[in-house]
Amino acid sequence: MKKLVLLMVAVSIVCGGIVFAAEDELKIFIWSEYMDEENMPKDFEKATGIKVRLDLYESNEEMMAKLQAGGVNQYDIIVPSDYIMPSLIHLKLIQPLDHSKIPNLKNLGAKFRETSFDPGNKYAVGWQWGTVGLMYRRDRIQDADAKSWAILFDPKRDPGPFYLIDSVREMMGIALLYLGYDFNSTNPKELKAAADLLIQTKKRNTCLGFKGGVGGKNDVVAGAAAAAIVYNGDAIQAIAEDPKNLGFVVPKEGSEIWLDSMCIPAKAPNPDAAHQWINWILEPKVNASLSNYNHFATPNEAAKPYLDKEDLENPGVWPTAEIMETLVFTKDLGKDNRIMDEVWTRVKSH
Amino acid sequence: MRRSHPLITAMALLTMGFLYLPLGAVAVFSVNATRYGLTWRGFTLDWYVKLYHNEFILEAAWNTLVLAVVSTIVATILGTVLAIGMDRFPWGKKTDTFLDLVLHIPVVIPDIILAAALVVAFGLLRVISSLFEPGLFNMIIGHITFQISFVALVVRSRLVSIGRDVEEAARDLFASTPYLLRRVTLPLLLPGIVAGAMLAFTLSLDDFVISFFTAGPESVTLPLFIFAAVRRGVTPQIHALSTLVMLITVILIIGMERFTRK
Amino acid sequence: MLWLMVFLVLPGLVLIVVSFASRGAYGQLEWEFTIENYQRLAGFSLFGWTADYIIIVFRSVWVAFVTTAVSVILSYPLCFFICTRAERSRYFWLTLVIIPFWTNMVIRTYAWFLILAPELPLAKLASYVGLIPADAPLYPNAFAVYLGMVSMFLPFVTLPLYSSVERLDWALVEAAQDLYASRVRVFMQAILPQTLPGLSVGVILTFVPAMGMFVVPDLLGGAKYMLVGNLIQQQFGASRDWPFGAAISMGLMILTMISLQLYRRRGKEIKFV
Repeated sequence: MKKLVLLMVAVSIVCGGIVFAAEDELKIFIWSEYMDEENMPKDFEKATGIKVRLDLYESNEEMMAKLQAGGVNQYDIIVPSDYIMPSLIHLKLIQPLDHSKIPNLKNLGAKFRETSFDPGNKYAVGWQWGTVGLMYRRDRIQDADAKSWAILFDPKRDPGPFYLIDSVREMMGIALLYLGYDFNSTNPKELKAAADLLIQTKKRNTCLGFKGGVGGKNDVVAGAAAAAIVYNGDAIQAIAEDPKNLGFVVPKEGSEIWLDSMCIPAKAPNPDAAHQWINWILEPKVNASLSNYNHFATPNEAAKPYLDKEDLENPGVWPTAEIMETLVFTKDLGKDNRIMDEVWTRVKSH
Repeated sequence: MRRSHPLITAMALLTMGFLYLPLGAVAVFSVNATRYGLTWRGFTLDWYVKLYHNEFILEAAWNTLVLAVVSTIVATILGTVLAIGMDRFPWGKKTDTFLDLVLHIPVVIPDIILAAALVVAFGLLRVISSLFEPGLFNMIIGHITFQISFVALVVRSRLVSIGRDVEEAARDLFASTPYLLRRVTLPLLLPGIVAGAMLAFTLSLDDFVISFFTAGPESVTLPLFIFAAVRRGVTPQIHALSTLVMLITVILIIGMERFTRK
Repeated sequence: MLWLMVFLVLPGLVLIVVSFASRGAYGQLEWEFTIENYQRLAGFSLFGWTADYIIIVFRSVWVAFVTTAVSVILSYPLCFFICTRAERSRYFWLTLVIIPFWTNMVIRTYAWFLILAPELPLAKLASYVGLIPADAPLYPNAFAVYLGMVSMFLPFVTLPLYSSVERLDWALVEAAQDLYASRVRVFMQAILPQTLPGLSVGVILTFVPAMGMFVVPDLLGGAKYMLVGNLIQQQFGASRDWPFGAAISMGLMILTMISLQLYRRRGKEIKFV
């Protein structure tokens, strides 16, 4: 009797699996609100006939955790940030790309074809790049005050309710920069100082805790927070709808500059569709529509003529040379990655 | 006791209010015509309509249902068998206590421990067979594991209450074991089995922690969906969804009550 | 039975084993025996000794205790009240209690976001008194977590308690009152012992799960008020430290076992209605 039931269950699951696999499907695991989630998949389906399924995450670590817990053969495309690529490659979680299936690769800017973490685009193709900064409500915080991270970290200031960003490298990096240390420091004393700063900040009345970039942005828009640390494109998207009350700035102490790329997990169920997606995204008009929607900067040279002029001139999207000086790429720390995670657990749990 | 001290009545009613305050708020704001913030801007059923068109939600609802139904069926069968086995078979005293202990574990421990154990175990099993990817299959296994205990306990208490007399009488009349089970035990047990099944079903529908740890990309359930959405920022659509879920729960409960009272 | 063995006992054993494993540089599992995870739990982290994790554990136990206590205090009047209703309407009141009980815990928890939002009176009152900045929501903080926990677990106590209160022999209570016992004594000597079975079930059903709860602290406490449940969840999530997560789970398990033992020692049997 038991065996019969188990058999029935197994059969139904297998059947279900077959039904799902029969349709040509592309499973994308990506940051939330990174593209027009309603229309872009539909456009891709119109162009190639492949159905798209989206799954969303809020941070690289979340994505890694899912992959390591078995997601490596459940997604076709992931969009990791630059610093996490060495980990992915080392852990053999992603597969090399077949360049013959991506003729549009030539559209990428030269800088993005020879990145430090993946020369020659062996594993990754640039998706978007951008920065992290402070988004704030202009009716609560003065533009001049927002220009320094001190508005959040200095206990004497009162920015109103604010969120810190729930992402280990970015948050720790910003704290380190504010204290005058290197963004990518692994010195335990410096890390402890940064962690202590974050803990003290978190404990203040006005700090509402940690939230992902998108969540923080949504709260600032809703008026539930006066400031939040967010990704630049998310902020610009929101400001477009309410420029009088919302503002974004990269504070003077500096911040992170990041590059997100598309990769294919090692055991992806449909690598063919994945290559088609990458190639499609690299088309100039498609890429431009992506950037025009999410207001991030694109690594795709050929797409530049099609971008919104407003974006091109907005230092929030395409940073000026001045701001670029203060921006730092997050580096993979190799064996020292572990310290970061321990520090973060400490910050969160204290 | 006929009268109630006014203070007690007041406290009781306040407590009830406390319980319903959050739920009421969700229902109220699900018909509020504003996207952000909570200022009242007029009545609208827009959000409910949008729900209907949202593919993700419909899929999550479907997953939740499938998960609950499949796991309930399997768990009820296994749980009943377990209960009958435990009660009617002459196990030794020591085995009996051990079995009893194991049975109570899923019920009493915090579910996060069970979830963590399952995640780790599945991680290892994945090396053997790719069947153990995070996904519906894992979730069903996880749900069944804790459901079996609940079902078995409910059925067992029913078994105890119906006593052995009827069965012994049947035996005296030369009934064979299959006959005994089919015609005597199971029919008598039916209310208990049904109660156990309903309990298991509701537990599965409601479950969050175990599902959270074992879910895969295609097997999002409603509670998981709501949790992820809430973390990104609460929208009235979520309120609409929640209100619907609450209504369905109410209907299910009232249905259950009517059924068990007959 | 086989099922339970395979999917319950074995994973449990695996968890114990994993708690002694170590974590690779990139967050993968490495099979190197170490008691470092337990050391970390006891406070010996890379930054010198900190009581962080022990604080979290104690905090969780404390929160569970307070939640249980408050739920009990609120449940008694509720049960008495329902008992004084006419026979037929009792089912109605009980159903009213059951409905939140069966409503999904995620919904019940996030619903507090609305009550504690900046626009509503509660938050305004708090900011007026100066407890929180103006226009801030009344969460995440400890108060919100307690609110969420109590509202979550209240029915867990009320329902089992009710079954005992219903069977209360009021004659005994009246006898105590006739003998001029004070209100408190009437409660302690006449009511409490009779309701003990239901109360015990309610307390266990609340205290133990409350220790391991993570949804409520996560949504209503954010990173400002961490409990053991969140800590474990974090290790299996963004921190990618399964061994440490396993070690913490083991710790929680031991706490659970202790609570159950203490409970058993008092001579009550866990009876499920």
